[in-house]
Amino acid sequence: MGFDTAVKLNIYETIAQTAQAPTSADVAKALGTSAEKVEAAFERLHQKRLLVPEPDDPSRIRMAPPFSGVETPFRVKVQGKTYYANCAWDALGIAAALQADAIIEVSDGQSGEPMLLEVRNGQPVPEECVIHFAVPAAHWWDDILYT
Amino acid sequence: MLLFRSEETVTEWCEARGLPKRPIINLNQLWYLAKTWYENRLTVESRRPAPDEMVEIFARIGLEGPFWDPKADQWHAAT
Repeated sequence: MGFDTAVKLNIYETIAQTAQAPTSADVAKALGTSAEKVEAAFERLHQKRLLVPEPDDPSRIRMAPPFSGVETPFRVKVQGKTYYANCAWDALGIAAALQADAIIEVSDGQSGEPMLLEVRNGQPVPEECVIHFAVPAAHWWDDILYT
Repeated sequence: MLLFRSEETVTEWCEARGLPKRPIINLNQLWYLAKTWYENRLTVESRRPAPDEMVEIFARIGLEGPFWDPKADQWHAAT
């Protein structure tokens, strides 16, 4: 297993276990290396569209899709932990990645009406909702934080 | 992408921002995308689908055309 894969796995294992994104120092300590080398791996993973470091702080993770490194309006509750997702797609993606039932707190993008989604036994429970894609696929990563 | 209670609130969102209404999908389609993208994300071999794979994945749930093609050039001038 290469270094970047080890970094990626440590990030995802840490988030899955703690619901918190590790810093580069956390990953470095776990892997017995330096924070600088981990931050270089963060950037390579960013180029592969597997990670988004904080724009102003390369030691922190903004997004490790489907997880968000910061609190967002997309709360995903799984087995007593609260994870944050980057969007509705990623909110369901957290249930898929953890292969677990989930309660997802979201809201209508226009009205702000609170909405609950649930994944139970590997399927979403039917709920009246639609998902609108404002940005075409060719541009999703032009500004992934907006997308 | 955003979640809405109904197509009516999608229309309100677009009108409030002067943006065109773009493709809308349902919860089952979104779940398919979520599983396909992420169900192996915690494993060694996980990776993001390549552009051609993305086109195939979208087509499996009826999402076709340049909007869903990550290599489509025609959107560069329009967006």
